[in-house]
Amino acid sequence: MSRALLRSVLELRAPVTRLLPLSIRPTTTTAAAAPAAASVRFFNQTAQHIEPTTQPDPTIVANNASPPDSVRTLLPILAAQPGHYITLLIHGRPYLVTQGDSIRLPFKMPGVEPGDVLRLNRASVLGSRDFTLKGAPHVDERLYECRAVVTGTESEPLRVKIKKKRRCRRKKTVKSKHRYTMLRVSELRIREEAVHES
Amino acid sequence: MSFFRITLHRSAIGLPKRTRGVLAALGLHRRGQLVFHPVSAQFAGMIMKVKELVIVEEVDRALTKREVHDSRKPDPGFWLETARAVGLQQQQQQFQQQQQEEEVRL
Repeated sequence: MSRALLRSVLELRAPVTRLLPLSIRPTTTTAAAAPAAASVRFFNQTAQHIEPTTQPDPTIVANNASPPDSVRTLLPILAAQPGHYITLLIHGRPYLVTQGDSIRLPFKMPGVEPGDVLRLNRASVLGSRDFTLKGAPHVDERLYECRAVVTGTESEPLRVKIKKKRRCRRKKTVKSKHRYTMLRVSELRIREEAVHES
Repeated sequence: MSFFRITLHRSAIGLPKRTRGVLAALGLHRRGQLVFHPVSAQFAGMIMKVKELVIVEEVDRALTKREVHDSRKPDPGFWLETARAVGLQQQQQQFQQQQQEEEVRL
């Protein structure tokens, strides 16, 4: 989506705002960045000495707080785009997936059988072709629904480690065959109604 | 009772035996290890000997090893939503109800 199109969309929704929101921005921006910091204007002749206050603009301020304006205005556009991806955090490890992808976890998940449905609630990034919703540090879990089905267990080929010292004929053999749980991301949906709830 | 919260930030590899002895006395064996000691002149002196290697903070409560481990563990990021878990609970409840009914009859 071109910058001109984005601007026209923004103007339709909020005609007053002239600056691009800082937390959600289109990924195709190659032009110079939006004017930094202040949207404050001074009408004096003398130059003002202002210390630049770089306020971090997280997408999610607090669990109970309402989503910031950029999320409210741009989430519907993000949701309307055809394809989405999400960077899930399973035990802190990131997995960039979209609907229909298979994940091979580096461990065997205890207490699950094939067919069990996991609801994933930790994501660092949620995006589409032109828009990215970056969590700080996580995306609010009310904004999306992501489910994965356990498809089964895979195993690596048998590894044999031979332990032997020099000038000693005795050998010890250690076998390893680790199991790994396979998931398939069955659903990834962006919940636009979450913006209206808060 | 306040405590020193001591974290070994720099490794002791290549450092003299005396410095390594001080770290061993404090209980710091590897980089990033967290240790709690009560505030006193003895421990303050040991910290001063290795102050370049260590990050120190004063806290009210000493955490246990388990608590430190849990604070560093990331959250799983998922939960089991399947009907099987719910079904198992219902089965257990039904079994308990049947047992109670049998007791009443007897």
